[in-house]
Amino acid sequence: MKRKKLISLLTALTITVGLMAGCGSSGQTGNAENTKSAAGNVAVEAEKQNAEKTATGEAEAVTIWYYWETEGHQVALDQVIQDYNASQGNYQVTAKYVPFADFKKQLSIGASADELPDIAILDSPDHASYVKMGIFEELTGKFDVSSYYEGAVNSCTVDGNLYGVPFGVNCLALYYNEDMLKEAGREAPSTWDELMDTAKALTTDSVTGLALCSVQNEEGTFNFVPWLWSTGADSYSIGSENGIRALTFIQNLVNEGVMSKECINWTQGDVMNQFIAGNVAMMENGPWQIPTMQKEAPELNWKVTLIPKDSQYSSVLGGENYAVINGGNVEGALDFLTYATSEEKVKFLMDKFGYISADKAIAESQFEADSPYQPFVEELNYAMPRGPLAEWPSVSDAISLAFNQVITGTATPEDAAAEAQTTIDGIVK
Amino acid sequence: MDEEKKLTRKKNILYSAISVLLLCILLFPPYWALITSLKTEQEIFQNPPTFYPHILNLKSYAAQVETGDFNMFRSFANSFLISLGATGIAVVLAVPASYGIAKYRFRARKLMLLSFLVTQMLPVSVLLTPMFIMFKNMHVYNTWIAAVLADATIGIPFSVLILKNYFASIPKDLEEAAYLDGCNKFTAFVRILIPIAKPGVMVCAIFSFLYAWSDLAYGMTFILDQEKRPITAGIFNFMGQYGTKWSYLTAFAVVTIIPVALIFIFMQKYIVSGMTSGAVKG
Amino acid sequence: MGKIKKIFRYDNAGILFVLPAFIYMLVFVGYPIIRNIILSFQDVSAGNLVRGTKNFILFDNYMELFRDSVFRTSLFNTLRYTVLCLFFQFVIGFALALFFSRRFSFAKPVRGILLVPWMIPVTVTALMFKLLFATDIGVMNYILRSLHLIDKNIEWLTTPQTAMFALICANVWIGIPFNMILISTGLTTIPKELYESASIDGANKTQTFFSITLPLLKPTIESVLILGFIYTFKVYDLVYVMTSGGPVNSTHMLSTYSYKLSFEMFKYSKGSAVANVLLVILLIVGVFYIKATTEGEES
Repeated sequence: MKRKKLISLLTALTITVGLMAGCGSSGQTGNAENTKSAAGNVAVEAEKQNAEKTATGEAEAVTIWYYWETEGHQVALDQVIQDYNASQGNYQVTAKYVPFADFKKQLSIGASADELPDIAILDSPDHASYVKMGIFEELTGKFDVSSYYEGAVNSCTVDGNLYGVPFGVNCLALYYNEDMLKEAGREAPSTWDELMDTAKALTTDSVTGLALCSVQNEEGTFNFVPWLWSTGADSYSIGSENGIRALTFIQNLVNEGVMSKECINWTQGDVMNQFIAGNVAMMENGPWQIPTMQKEAPELNWKVTLIPKDSQYSSVLGGENYAVINGGNVEGALDFLTYATSEEKVKFLMDKFGYISADKAIAESQFEADSPYQPFVEELNYAMPRGPLAEWPSVSDAISLAFNQVITGTATPEDAAAEAQTTIDGIVK
Repeated sequence: MDEEKKLTRKKNILYSAISVLLLCILLFPPYWALITSLKTEQEIFQNPPTFYPHILNLKSYAAQVETGDFNMFRSFANSFLISLGATGIAVVLAVPASYGIAKYRFRARKLMLLSFLVTQMLPVSVLLTPMFIMFKNMHVYNTWIAAVLADATIGIPFSVLILKNYFASIPKDLEEAAYLDGCNKFTAFVRILIPIAKPGVMVCAIFSFLYAWSDLAYGMTFILDQEKRPITAGIFNFMGQYGTKWSYLTAFAVVTIIPVALIFIFMQKYIVSGMTSGAVKG
Repeated sequence: MGKIKKIFRYDNAGILFVLPAFIYMLVFVGYPIIRNIILSFQDVSAGNLVRGTKNFILFDNYMELFRDSVFRTSLFNTLRYTVLCLFFQFVIGFALALFFSRRFSFAKPVRGILLVPWMIPVTVTALMFKLLFATDIGVMNYILRSLHLIDKNIEWLTTPQTAMFALICANVWIGIPFNMILISTGLTTIPKELYESASIDGANKTQTFFSITLPLLKPTIESVLILGFIYTFKVYDLVYVMTSGGPVNSTHMLSTYSYKLSFEMFKYSKGSAVANVLLVILLIVGVFYIKATTEGEES
């Protein structure tokens, strides 16, 4: 009985606190009433759990949504959260896994229904869209991001205002199977011509020279843009001569048989699996694969190098950003983020994730000189973000479609480029 | 039964053999999933493929039990509870509804029949957001109840449409006899017609259960906590984490098929007889 | 007055049985349908989903759709897919139903087990077929190679035409049992005396099939085809898992395209408009179904 009373008392208390938090921070929300009850509900539910878990139970709930399905990622994030919860008594953070395929949908629906977490850890190219949706709290001046990579900061900046904090960054580079290259008597390629040459030499009955994830969605675009940008074209000028050259190069890789058409069904994880199974000699992929590769194929000899260039080295900036939802528990979210972005925690997370710190100062001393991650740090100097643009998903769709058309041979590079350019021109007037 | 004697022994054997052959062809996909789940990754990539696992590999099943937050047994139980709940609602509502439509000629009958059809016509994508808002307002978001309520909306119209034919095929005399015995319309339905329609009701229940069992979108969207989600949601954990590691994915497939197969084995009599006596008149 | 009384005498009891289910569906699906119609006439995207004014732009979304080549592909795909699936699953289902109507010893148990494909979660079926149709490790290619029908692996899921074929195969596989069992049912209702007298009259099997079986099965066939149409037309899970609408948008259906617009590209209103096109087509089919099934039963 006593316990029940205590819980209901605490619930009432947290609702009040929740309401206050909701009012204090939302500032310009028109639907303050909904906001209040949303914050209240979250608080109520988490509070019940708290009351059962801990004796203190005075803490306010802070919820996080993230999409990493890799167990190592989940465990590492959880570790930081537990440390945080143990370190103070004001807030109780819980994290919820929302599958990547469902993440955007869930955020959209949550925004319509006013049922969102307090913090979202989301894919950086989507950041601008949600800022435009108006669900993110402005964070200008609340975090010192001056030493962060410019591209990473740009991805969460809209109209000069900061709406997020980079969680960690990554980029793509070229992995190659050392043994296979040695056997073929080749060096790591650094230009497109060398790449084509090497890939041809490495291709046998059972091995294809190169693989890159070419699925027709954001993941594919992520893997295509380094080739596009290397020619000097940007995301919005795929129809230029340079853009056509990038498409032609990818088409040639497929036509020469050094890249499998199946790539359009391979996620980055699949590409990595093909690489460690020895079916693929070189692949474009990111540093987050390294922990898995070391665990699953410890005897495989591989190295990482810059993505071969056409006219300039180029890579794409990936990674997630933290965003604070307005109308949620903003105070608690900020408090947790301040903790999680401290140097010590960032180092811990980056290490477990196979990510590179978005803080340049930390990143440069993050790895030993001979670490397999080091090439990615170098590659980061050439990495640019996608967007930031609220309509990025539509631009991305046009780019990945063009590349898929040339890979499947359903359009010539010229036609594919022209079609994509028309679409993009219609979006970015 | 005497018709069986009409077939000669030779023909009987021939037809039976053909039927077994058909069975093998049509059940090849699940068979292939089963053996793939028992192979090692190397053997899966072997060319020519092997038609039974040469090296038995149970690792993929061990991985089903627990990966990250995903616990197979718990998800299993969740799916079961959600499906049972949805089945309960669907049976209680659809059986009388189909009876009403089959046996009575009222004004709005055609309109209602059409409405039941219409509710089946929207793709999931546009149902999710409004349903979500409703469940949130009902304070059932992120609970099984939300998935139960949503899943029942798939089972009800289908059951109504199939069952109405079933009730229509029950002779009028039975009802009339019940009225003579002093039953009113409602008691006649409960005491006489439901028992007669039992196989039909079973079929309705099985449909609803299977539709709910196979649902992915509702369970994923309306339930946020991994520990409350149905087993189909596990597919994301595996596809995301293992890409196309076929031994893991097919083991997942086999695990989700098992309960279906069990239900089927126990209910075969009802499913087949129920279905062959329903839907008579279209 | 008399007419009203009559209506009530016939009405109230019947409608009371139907109302609970009707209200349930109205509550949970009625609101979404109305909301969706309103949304499709607005201009809702990321910018004004939560705040900001939602302008009514009437038919602009629909006009835009008909200029959108992916939409046209999706519409055409959905129709083609539905018609082909229905045709094959119906013909095969019909043949199997005829076969199993013969009273041989294995008829009942085997027909029962053949229902299994219909009971597997669609996402799982999609996974199984993705494996069967894989280029390198897919057993489909192996079988065709062994039979010397092909000498080079077919890239099933990465070529537009064959990807559609693979989807149709998977759906036909799911649909065969459904058709088979409903037609079996229809067959059992045909009085045997009709066949007996026909054979006395010297009719051969083909003649009895066309003069007795087909005409008497008409109501069953109608309901099987129209129900099948609705369920095939709004296919989602199968396509999403097997091809996600690819390669190069060649297997997008109305449902998958609606999902993509709404939840991947933040074009909520346009996504709703696609769903409404789907709804309208199905509604037309539905009206025909009701007409066909309630015809003549008033007497």
